[in-house]
Amino acid sequence: MIKNLGSAWKPAIAAVALAFAFGCSPTETKTPEKTPEGSTPATTTAATTRPEPTGEGVTVTGDVIKVGVVGSITGDQKPWGDDSIEGAKMAAEEFNAAGGVNGKKVELVIGDSASKAEQAKTATEKLLSEGVVGIVGEVASGNTIQIAKAAFGKAVPVVAIGATRTDLTDEGTHVVRVCYTDAFQGPVMATFAFEDLGKRKVGIITDNKAPYSQGLSKSFGEKFKALGGEIVGEVFYETGQTDFTGPINEIKGKNPDVLFLSGYFPEVGPMAQAIRAAGIGKDVPLLGGDGWDSPQLLVSGGDAILGSYMCNHYNNKETRPEVTEFLTKWKAKHNGKEPGTTMAALGYDAAMLMFDGLKRAKNLNSKDLIASLNDTEGFKGVSGVVNLKGKGGNPDKQALVVEIAPAAQGFQVFKKAFSPSDIK
Amino acid sequence: MPIHSLPPDLLLPFAGIEVSTLPQQLVDGLLLGFIYALIALGYTMVYGVLKLINFAHGEVFMIGAYCALFTSWALGYTPGNALASGQWWMLLVMLVASMVGCGLLGVTIERFAYRPLRNQPRIASLITAIGLSLLLQYGGQIFLPLNQNIDSKINPAAGGYTVSLGGGSAVDTEALKATVKTKQAAFEDFLTRTKADRFNLNDEGKRLRNDAQEAERELKTAADRGKGTTLVVPYGKLIAMVATIFLMVGLTYLVMYTKRGRAMRAVSHDFDAASLMGISVNSIITFTFLIGSVMAGAGAMMVATFYAGTKIDPYFGMVLGVKAFVAAVLGGIGNIPGAVLGGLLMGITEGIVSWLGFTAYKDAVAFIVLIGVLLLRPGGLLGSAKVEKV
Repeated sequence: MIKNLGSAWKPAIAAVALAFAFGCSPTETKTPEKTPEGSTPATTTAATTRPEPTGEGVTVTGDVIKVGVVGSITGDQKPWGDDSIEGAKMAAEEFNAAGGVNGKKVELVIGDSASKAEQAKTATEKLLSEGVVGIVGEVASGNTIQIAKAAFGKAVPVVAIGATRTDLTDEGTHVVRVCYTDAFQGPVMATFAFEDLGKRKVGIITDNKAPYSQGLSKSFGEKFKALGGEIVGEVFYETGQTDFTGPINEIKGKNPDVLFLSGYFPEVGPMAQAIRAAGIGKDVPLLGGDGWDSPQLLVSGGDAILGSYMCNHYNNKETRPEVTEFLTKWKAKHNGKEPGTTMAALGYDAAMLMFDGLKRAKNLNSKDLIASLNDTEGFKGVSGVVNLKGKGGNPDKQALVVEIAPAAQGFQVFKKAFSPSDIK
Repeated sequence: MPIHSLPPDLLLPFAGIEVSTLPQQLVDGLLLGFIYALIALGYTMVYGVLKLINFAHGEVFMIGAYCALFTSWALGYTPGNALASGQWWMLLVMLVASMVGCGLLGVTIERFAYRPLRNQPRIASLITAIGLSLLLQYGGQIFLPLNQNIDSKINPAAGGYTVSLGGGSAVDTEALKATVKTKQAAFEDFLTRTKADRFNLNDEGKRLRNDAQEAERELKTAADRGKGTTLVVPYGKLIAMVATIFLMVGLTYLVMYTKRGRAMRAVSHDFDAASLMGISVNSIITFTFLIGSVMAGAGAMMVATFYAGTKIDPYFGMVLGVKAFVAAVLGGIGNIPGAVLGGLLMGITEGIVSWLGFTAYKDAVAFIVLIGVLLLRPGGLLGSAKVEKV
């Protein structure tokens, strides 16, 4: 008889250790992408060396133009997926009602990224096999990088919705976006902290598993230092982490007078509570990027998150006709409710830009679509005017700094707008 | 309660390492260690009697957090519903709810998933355990609300216990305080006088604001030097620690001084001999699962409630579950005091690693410690290595 009780658990430990190392993040995995050291900073979004997709492209046959949409229908980033897909659907309905492309209607084919990079890739491959001529998506940069990589071989254009990571558009000329980049967003928040709040000692808290967060922390820190501020320390956590005691204690010991939290809302909310519970007072404001954008932040952040500042793409209170029109249409479809996140408007814009590109394309071919998208000039979106000609896929849009307020006061209260020319 | 025993210089940075954060990191590590220990007990007790690693234990823990969440909702603390501070009895109700919920789940799992496989090769039970764990995680994705957290207001003991360490060198901050006040007043006066937008100041406004900020920073630095370092222990975490100690004492009593406990020890010693002695092995095993799961439920409720803002989702039990499992192995799996020791050691190790500035690597270090201990003592710290006869 083999009596082996004492070591029955040994292989099990190995199994668990493996599961721990590879499987424990439900949201996003690291992508090999890293911002190259000393990359061109900030606002100059001049076209660098974006590789040209060499595939022959997809040509539309038949009466229907298939356009793919990738979003997080499930997982942590569901609020963004739901809003952006809903926005894209609204755009498609409107565009078809207005006649489509010379009578040809667009049909959206929707894929779920499940808030994970590898799933975003799988969803994209599935959409490509169904013959989509373009892909709208995604919100998270880590996911969008995978979409861009998957679409490169087929020379199918990707219009990113809210992916702000700066080097995303370096994936190829087939990637463009309707949002600003972190190379702009980071400096905006750094300038706001330094010039408008008068802060000088920043502590940075980065999600080490999100390419978005890493890139944003870097661009923020570089600008803050350039302005004359001091980075007293940078601490790290990972997507899905629930206990932030260690990093918070570490940063507290460095005595910062402002904190920059570059991660996504599911972790930022709880972290804000933990920061206040650790005894860092409200005289140390919390700042963040558009990754904070979900009303869920108010629930998970409680009172601790109120009075913080984040950077966002547009604001529901803006009076531009595009915004008011969009909100009227949205409310009519959603029982009078405003969209919860800005990703609704960005999803709408991204889809509309794609359709606009289809209209301007020489032929209904994905390669001509890439060209026409990169030639976009003066496209009036809900979130602002998009110019892409000679911009390397990155429109120079303005960014708004908003204060986090209770839901009754509208969640995000506009404080200050920055345009690219404000950031030197 | 300030303790003025440590000289202030002791807590100044030494060789680039911030000494002043050490006490806080150690205390937080210790507090977390108690939670690890509580969960580790469930792994170790089940292993003790069944020689089975109950991988679903982390998921039982996760369900416990949901039980606490739903109870808090039932008590009116739904998201967005701004209520006043909660009552003590509410915490007790939540604690009981998650203990009962977890206990039921644990017993059900044992009855329907493990008992039918009792006489099969052990690997079958192990695979079932992993399967159950995945089932609960992914089933939860469909049936449970994601990304939730318990409203921290339900905890009546907001705030924390603050201790000043190593202070005492009298730094006169009064003058600085006065300066801050004047400078802030000057800035506020400027704002009311010119009706300027706080975020679009002219040069004069900016100068006044920066002066005020600079004075505040000076005051903070000076005050910090005078205080040495402060140790903040949120009351909630203290409650969690006391409750954990209480539960552990109860468990020790149960295992060491009751008839049932003796039967449990007998079963863990020798399955067949125990049943020959007239012990109902099945009911003892069920009881073991019940106790282990109830402990996990208590731990889950405390993490979800007292660690403000903790995110509850179906993966909630994964990281803590793995850590607790490691703690159980570290202490010697099957050994109850070992699980507690392992949990505390894990927590403190993480505290020290965080203090050294390697927060990003604290999980890795926990595994390195495990490997190190297993190399020296293959049975764990308190476990006894068995000679294997093949």
